[in-house]
Amino acid sequence: MRHRWIVAAYLAVGLVATACGDDAESGSTADEEATVAETTAPADDTTEPDDETEQEEEPADDVSGGTMVVAISEDPGHFNPGITTGFNVHVVTGSMFNGLVELDDNANPLPDLAESWEVSDDATTYTFTLADGVTWHDGEPFTSADVKFTFEEVLLNFHSRTKSGLEGALASIDAPDDQTVVFTFSEPYAALLQRLNSTEAPILAQHIYGGVDDVQEAAENLTPVGTGPFMFESHEIDSEVRLVRNPNYFKDGLPLLDEVVYRVIPDANTQLLALEQGEIDYLWRVPGAELERLGGDDAIDLYPVNSGPGGGFCVPTLTFNLDREVFDDIRVRQAIAHAIDRQQLVDQAIFGQGRAATGPISSEMAFAYTDDVTEYPRDIERANALLDDAGFSAEGTRFTIDLLHFPNFSKYGEIIRENLSEVGIDVELAPLDRAAFLPRVFEQRDFDTNVISYCNNSDPSIGVSRMYLSTNIGNIPFSNGAGYVNPTIDELFADGNRTADTGARADIYAEIQQILVDELPYWWLVETRFTVGATAGMEGLAPHSGHFAEGAHFVDG
Amino acid sequence: MAPYIVRRLLQAIPLLFGASTLTWILVHLAPGDPIVALAGEDGNAEYYAMMRERFGLDRPLGEQLVVYLGRLVRGDLGFSNRHNRPAVEVILDQLPATLLLMVPSLVIAALIGIALGAVAAGRRHTAVDATVRTTTLLGHAMPVFWLSQILLLVFAARLGWFPVQGRTDARANHEGLRAAVDVAHHMVLPVTALVSVYVPPIMRVTRASMIENLDALYIRAARARGVSRRRALIGHALPNSLLPIATVIGAQIGFMFAGAVLVETVFAWPGLGTLLLNAMLNRDYAIITASLLMLATTIIGMNLVTDIAYSVIDPRVRHGRD
Repeated sequence: MRHRWIVAAYLAVGLVATACGDDAESGSTADEEATVAETTAPADDTTEPDDETEQEEEPADDVSGGTMVVAISEDPGHFNPGITTGFNVHVVTGSMFNGLVELDDNANPLPDLAESWEVSDDATTYTFTLADGVTWHDGEPFTSADVKFTFEEVLLNFHSRTKSGLEGALASIDAPDDQTVVFTFSEPYAALLQRLNSTEAPILAQHIYGGVDDVQEAAENLTPVGTGPFMFESHEIDSEVRLVRNPNYFKDGLPLLDEVVYRVIPDANTQLLALEQGEIDYLWRVPGAELERLGGDDAIDLYPVNSGPGGGFCVPTLTFNLDREVFDDIRVRQAIAHAIDRQQLVDQAIFGQGRAATGPISSEMAFAYTDDVTEYPRDIERANALLDDAGFSAEGTRFTIDLLHFPNFSKYGEIIRENLSEVGIDVELAPLDRAAFLPRVFEQRDFDTNVISYCNNSDPSIGVSRMYLSTNIGNIPFSNGAGYVNPTIDELFADGNRTADTGARADIYAEIQQILVDELPYWWLVETRFTVGATAGMEGLAPHSGHFAEGAHFVDG
Repeated sequence: MAPYIVRRLLQAIPLLFGASTLTWILVHLAPGDPIVALAGEDGNAEYYAMMRERFGLDRPLGEQLVVYLGRLVRGDLGFSNRHNRPAVEVILDQLPATLLLMVPSLVIAALIGIALGAVAAGRRHTAVDATVRTTTLLGHAMPVFWLSQILLLVFAARLGWFPVQGRTDARANHEGLRAAVDVAHHMVLPVTALVSVYVPPIMRVTRASMIENLDALYIRAARARGVSRRRALIGHALPNSLLPIATVIGAQIGFMFAGAVLVETVFAWPGLGTLLLNAMLNRDYAIITASLLMLATTIIGMNLVTDIAYSVIDPRVRHGRD
């Protein structure tokens, strides 16, 4: 009671203060609301693209163009998707650039800049035929020379995943004519198509970047010219990025929206309120704790998705630092696996958005996944017995370990600490921000355990192998943090990379999963999905993709 | 007067140099590495080695500091690779938005704080005094980010009177007066939050200082001469209480960033606070050191201005020192 009175009293004072100070503004509130209401009816004040919209195509009757407002947490900084894998850049540039292919929500390739492709039987030669009539936003024609240039001069130098994934394997890229690109590999390369979407390999314009001395500091990075559905209009740092419809987009009838505005809203609560109040139309991550409440809001549609420009098929994982003596004994790792209640993690850490993991590959990556692996069900007795056998006395605390995590993973930390305390293991939680976490884990290797959400991404060769290869230990963010060394596993992953036949690949990855789950260099906790929130009645959204807005439109009514 | 100002300005130079060196060292000693923010994830060892060399992160800290100071002397505050532009340019771009919040907030807070302080002092130990003191104490005790969220929940979400976020309506392309009204509409809640932070110290100092003056003999003399209570309060006690009030307002400007980081973050206001927060999360060293240097300059500058204001308000200060 008392609290409520105090708050009420304070708010009253606040009101008076506002009234004193901002007379003009308060007075205008009513008018302002009216204006807001007017402008919500889309397309009214959009400027140039309007006329062209009419000429270009006939949108269906229920399509109204309009402006879609998308919340992002951080300013992108720049708009060159070829020199970074950062989510904040790609979430915006995905609407302005294309890859050779697009991926569906199961990571299967679909045409994008390449309208078709042929793969040689031994998977050493990939021949792409490019789409007709594609132009850059400045009107220049797009050709195969742009593709060759982008790979050779930008992606293979600066895009971390493309460089590490292709550099050694790729023998050459040729552009025999304007509409054909040929990738030749020195040995079979299975998963090229999964590396060619607008996030992994966005195609940049040679006529823009060809003459630039330093691609990383180029002024051109601030005024992007792409081939994508939307064109760059303006950017105000920490405020918004405005994109307008590309009237000459090479895909017939697309895009449908007049504008996409990315709003920078750092605070998660504010993002949610803005969605509920209709100030924004699209929120990439609805916090799990709010799902139930939002589910009852007719004005908001929820889309559960497994992937997006920030990564896909993610498996938050507990890393054991195998350099630490306490983890030398596999029984200790097995005991921890038995002690952790993964169902509790599903219920309380991810609010039911996902399921308990079984191993290093997410069940959503269906072609490579197997559930035929050793299981470690929640079993406190078994865990205690294993620890006893390993020589850790059950009297008092058996031993103490630290657990490093990002601040937004604190719930995982709390649950694991609680679970492990039941078997006499004391866990000290160490929340660290990302920039401090990464060098401590991967450079100094100063930790016992940590929790990281590792994403499989579009292929095991992209997101899985990095955690287990003995060549990938060291000062590399999100690499083999366990310090796991197993020549058999190294060899199997190499086989997986160069096996063209999907069935044969699946067998290889099944064997990998069985070995890893037996050896437990990590303990895979849960498979996560996340939930996109959007204004009710939008159609054509593709939340799993960088091109999420390409076909999006508002439906009247 | 002039020599006094010159002397104070000269003193500020080594102070600023020291402050910038210290902030640079602190920022670089804090654990962390900007490499992922700069380059991206899932590269191989060779890639990260190349990027570290590229951004000068592989060199010893001492050497990096020398490079920094060398550039600083030439007026170069560094290049933000995250924003792909010189740090100063980025900061100057964001400064007006912060001033747009801060200046009205301070002016309103000064007016309210001085008025409330004067009223409380004039009616000392009455119910009015107690109410004013309790409310401002509450305002002072309330964390500003919490208050900001309460304001959002009540006035934006529940009542729908004000927008939730940003400086403008993302869907409207207003121009001229309507654009100004749009911005003002977005300002109300953040300004209210900031005012609530600024009012309490101003109010308390005003009250204490005026009570001290009201007890002074010259007020009693004035009252004895038949000057009204109201005139004694506003005409005599208030002007003589201005010195400490000026000090406390000056100090508030110095704390501009602190309030800005929290309030701007909650209301998604695109100013220096949001910039500094993201710079810290991404270890954008150029932006952090340049902002902190600017902050130090502001605080040193405000102290200087306050001291000069002293000498204007109270000639004794000037004469005592000169």
